[in-house]
Amino acid sequence: MTGTTAGPALVAGPAAQTPPPAPPAKRRQDRAGYLFLLPWFVGMLFTVIPFFASLYLAFTDYNLLTPPRWTGLANFREMLGDPLLHQALKVTFIYTFVSVPLSLAAALGVAMLLSRGVRGLPVYRAVFYLPSLLGGSVAIVLLWKYIFGLDGIVNGLLGWFGIEGPAWTADPDHALTTLIVLHIWTFGSPMVIFLAGLRQIPVMYYEAAAIDGASRWRRFRSITLPLLSPIIFFNLIQSLISSFQTFTQGFVMSNGTGGPANSTLFYNLYLYQKGFSQFDMGYASAMAWMLLVIIAAFTALNFLAAKYWVHYDN
Amino acid sequence: MTDHPARAGRAAPSRRDLMRMAGLSALGLGPAGCGRGFGGGGGGGGDGVQLTMVWWGDVERAKKTQAALAIFQKQNPGVTVKTEFQDSGPYKDKLATRFAAGDPPDLMAMRTDSLREYADRGALLDLTQHKDAVDVSALSEGARSLAAVDGKSYGIPAGLNSVAFVVNKAVTDKYGVKIPDGDTWSWEDLAAFGRAVTKASGKKVYGVNFETFNVGYLDVFIRQRGEDFYTAQGALGVTEGSITAWFEMIQRMRADGGFPPAGFIEDVGTSPEQSYQAKGLIAATIIPTNTFLVNNKACGGNLVMLRMPGETQGERRGQSIGCPHLWSIAAASKHPNEALKLLNFLINDTEGAKTTGTTRGVPSNSQVADAIKPRLERDDQVATDFLIDLQKEKLPPSYLHPPGSTKIVANLKTVAAEVEYKRRTPAQAAQAIIADGRKALGE
Repeated sequence: MTGTTAGPALVAGPAAQTPPPAPPAKRRQDRAGYLFLLPWFVGMLFTVIPFFASLYLAFTDYNLLTPPRWTGLANFREMLGDPLLHQALKVTFIYTFVSVPLSLAAALGVAMLLSRGVRGLPVYRAVFYLPSLLGGSVAIVLLWKYIFGLDGIVNGLLGWFGIEGPAWTADPDHALTTLIVLHIWTFGSPMVIFLAGLRQIPVMYYEAAAIDGASRWRRFRSITLPLLSPIIFFNLIQSLISSFQTFTQGFVMSNGTGGPANSTLFYNLYLYQKGFSQFDMGYASAMAWMLLVIIAAFTALNFLAAKYWVHYDN
Repeated sequence: MTDHPARAGRAAPSRRDLMRMAGLSALGLGPAGCGRGFGGGGGGGGDGVQLTMVWWGDVERAKKTQAALAIFQKQNPGVTVKTEFQDSGPYKDKLATRFAAGDPPDLMAMRTDSLREYADRGALLDLTQHKDAVDVSALSEGARSLAAVDGKSYGIPAGLNSVAFVVNKAVTDKYGVKIPDGDTWSWEDLAAFGRAVTKASGKKVYGVNFETFNVGYLDVFIRQRGEDFYTAQGALGVTEGSITAWFEMIQRMRADGGFPPAGFIEDVGTSPEQSYQAKGLIAATIIPTNTFLVNNKACGGNLVMLRMPGETQGERRGQSIGCPHLWSIAAASKHPNEALKLLNFLINDTEGAKTTGTTRGVPSNSQVADAIKPRLERDDQVATDFLIDLQKEKLPPSYLHPPGSTKIVANLKTVAAEVEYKRRTPAQAAQAIIADGRKALGE
């Protein structure tokens, strides 16, 4: 969902890094750059207009069928006492804070294995990357539902060890776990970025450290981690943001209900139910803005904390 | 789910880059990209009037609908009908979005529990103002009142149906369990039957299963106790005691094996072939009568249709005549006259009804129903006879769901799951349903 907006910004990055007056050739290059960006700007229009419309709607009572009515902060006040909203926040927070660290750890682990010059690296890279392309798709979530079904593969494996597995997707105690596992499995995209980052770390550092007798763990702690920290930071922010916005997995797994017993009621899923099933688009808009505030707050916190652990070369 | 931009070339992005990227990602808020189109179908453009008609259902229903529309278009040169259909699940959300976008369909299938959400907000055409265009004289009083709101009418039943128990005779024969008499059986008989099947099959087949959160099924039980889930005035009529009794009955059946244990039934889809009954894991379940044909096909033609239990023991009858959905016309339709013509055709045209059969229930026009009956497939005839017999009896009416009921339906499903996993007792569940229900209805 978010990748589409983030993509072109990356392309813009290098151009924006050189502010001083540019020679004509450079300016021509800039123009070409903006020209290539044009489709993105046009696309942005379709985002910006609903964006501000939803800001207005957040302060109204809007049932989709009759014109919105201004109600001030009523929607936000209602949020304070809405138990389902609190449940949705709980689900989303648990999901995010469990699955993001685990998936990043998995991504880094696999990236380090692959960066040791495995033969056929492109193949491995593709194999590990594939799930993150598919993980959010309806088909994979459905497949997941069957794998974790009462008679699915997972319980079949557990059965070999004499363990009678629970109904993973139907039991409110386990439904979210299956989605967290699904998320961890889709570690491919941070992995690819880690892989690229690892290859940028000059080999001489390791050689020097090895000569000085540093252990493997020491090399990892003192060379790999600090030099990779900007990449870790980038992946962390990206994963947090996308994880807060999880929708498809919860929607498909529960047929849009957030069930069983609201155990997979993601914030965005509840937002969708409010807006499109319960005719309360004003409240849904207010929720969307609240999510923006939450994400902004967590991102800001991360940037503050980054001072203490992210190491920039420049 | 998000495809991170993989840029393998550069290693350390600057702080400013990161800030910019993070900000932009956050902008992509909300469940974007969840728009799944209606399954397409139907006529093309050309001169004259083009009507849009949307409904839910499967491919089988689509074929029958197209055949009927071909007849309508032949009768009305210059009018083309563009149909769009999809699954019942997402239909509701999609319809709401179309209205919000200012592009409502001319004619639409309307859920009985959604009608007032639209009608109360002036989004639908009042059909009592157009009595000349749509002839409802052949409809029974019950059928006409199904969509009445304060003396106005915002929809016409696309057909009539009820709910029924279906038992797989192949299973009961195999394990030597007798199917109870469907006209007189009680809820206790149902429990005993379920127990017997489960026991005789050694838990290979569970006796009974149905959606414990389904308002339509629950309502039968409630009416038998002299209450209505929603009253004629659109208030919550059900008491805590009745909901408690419902969940306690199911808990008991679960405890003694007639009903499958918690977690056995998973939400795997709604198609008849995927049903637990078709897979041979369940002997008896509840279905809407108009789906008997497809369900029986999926079960190899072994289904026997019974009335709901408790009909002769309760305070009053619990079964009532309802409809799978209504046909409504948007108040903002640009072609109300043609839309009314199409509505009239769907309700009253025998030739058209011959092609659609009883896919949306028994035609609400009784003359049409009589005329098409001999041509129906055998299973559809069984379901039709079942309904015709019911209609001859004195049954309690079924009332429209008030606005806000969408929340109640969602809440019922949540609470039913909590009871299943013993997170709430039946009494606590009943209390929650009533308390939240009152709030949702603004009582």
